[in-house]
Amino acid sequence: MGNVSNMVARIPNLVDWSTGEVRLMSAKCNSCGTHFFPREHYQHRPGCSREGVENVLLPNKGKLASYVIMHYTPPPPFKFEKSIVPYGIGLVEFENEKIQVAGIITDTDLKSIKLGMKMETVTLMMFTNDEKQEVVTWAFRAVK
Amino acid sequence: MRDVYIIGTGIHPWLIRSEQVFTNFGTVAIDNAMKDAGIEWKQIQAIMAGIFIWGGNAGHLSGQYQESVFGETGVPVINIYNACATGTAALQMAYNSVASGQTDTALAYGADVSPKGFFSAKTDNAVQDRDVIRWKMVGMPNPVFWALECRKRMAKYGTTEKDLALVKVVMSEYGSKNPDAVFKKVYTVEEVLASAYVVDPLRLYMICPVSTGAAAAIVTADKKLISKADKPVKINAVTMGSAMYGDPTIRIGVVSCPAVPEAPLLSESYSASHQAYAKAGIGPEDVDYFELPDNSSWHYLVYLECCGFCKEGEADKMLRDGETRIDGRVPTNLSGGFSSHGEAVAAQAIWQVIECANQLRGRCGVRQVKNPKVAMAQTYGLMGNSGTTIISI
Repeated sequence: MGNVSNMVARIPNLVDWSTGEVRLMSAKCNSCGTHFFPREHYQHRPGCSREGVENVLLPNKGKLASYVIMHYTPPPPFKFEKSIVPYGIGLVEFENEKIQVAGIITDTDLKSIKLGMKMETVTLMMFTNDEKQEVVTWAFRAVK
Repeated sequence: MRDVYIIGTGIHPWLIRSEQVFTNFGTVAIDNAMKDAGIEWKQIQAIMAGIFIWGGNAGHLSGQYQESVFGETGVPVINIYNACATGTAALQMAYNSVASGQTDTALAYGADVSPKGFFSAKTDNAVQDRDVIRWKMVGMPNPVFWALECRKRMAKYGTTEKDLALVKVVMSEYGSKNPDAVFKKVYTVEEVLASAYVVDPLRLYMICPVSTGAAAAIVTADKKLISKADKPVKINAVTMGSAMYGDPTIRIGVVSCPAVPEAPLLSESYSASHQAYAKAGIGPEDVDYFELPDNSSWHYLVYLECCGFCKEGEADKMLRDGETRIDGRVPTNLSGGFSSHGEAVAAQAIWQVIECANQLRGRCGVRQVKNPKVAMAQTYGLMGNSGTTIISI
């Protein structure tokens, strides 16, 4: 993680680092129990009253449910200062919240990736903006 | 509801890419469909148009721009978008219009000129279009979603890279025999496995490219038109499905999915196909010919299961045992599939139905299945939408 005070998420309301740990910004429906990510991606159980949706943070750690290795650079608006290809994309499961979230796999030997391995959520610098801020996304790395 | 028949079909053959105007492709497809049906433009009482999403205003009002080419007649024109299932939605609208008696004869069509390379974001506004999140924050072109599901499948059912390659081998064998296919080279397992990874575990030849083309179908309940048509095919069911709560699929356009399944994988396609079986009063065992959406090798395998042609995890064996070949239990994608044509989003679902109709009408030459009576076309669809068409002769 870089200089926290100088970091900005490329899209707001997705990733939080204010607690000292990097955590994804989810919402939970207290009526049907479903977790959503992003928060506005409501996916209520049919018939749910939809009452009592509250903002929550997902745990910092989860386990790897699936992964791929990207060998091509995606088209814009994907943007990194330095090429990261090839890079991993993981689907990380947060067991208690019953949700899996996709994210770039960083700081992890691609050859060592295995299904079920423990992953932690981190920030990943994509590029520096005109205000000299580090623009970041969320990413996952193997727990060391 | 009245019985509705497809009396004419037409395509503009698929191309890798073209700078031509999409309506020019539509014109060719519709002209061919009218000739096949033996009708004139003025006999069409409704136009159900698949939207061309990269075409701006003209693309979003595709039907209006297309109508003016043939001459505006004031008939209802409805423009429809349901991703890969766009064509099925157009066909369903045409079917409903005719079956309900609102019109006697209707046209369903789609024309598309895909942009080059990976499809990408359509806006820059992540607030209104959450699809932007996957592009900006993760870098997830559509094949990433397929590869994530494919990896899960390989771990769960033991699908091998060789199985994934075999899909392309079989598709290329039939594609090579289809005069309208774009890609006619026949591949071996070794050649497929030697192609570069795009998104490991999926290699270049395990993913369908983007493409360009148009497809049109004319449906009618007019007994005179049906009686003079060349082998009209009856529409037994044309259904649309959406996703079901708890579907564990990581769905294109979304960066999360449920961890605990409470619905089938690809629930939108499960829904569309099982609605179609119920409406047609048949089961998968009654289907003599099947077109499925082979956007990737993973799709080919999972759709055999999703539509009930085998149990979950058994499609690899079905493929290996030759059950999907021309002389197998469920001849599948003898067109060569998207693998041999590429995706032309607005047009491809109607093209799938046309391939089915061609089999029922005995028009497939060396790819012809022996005396098929019932055929089924199944689509995929971004963000939880899908369509199924069952036709018979």
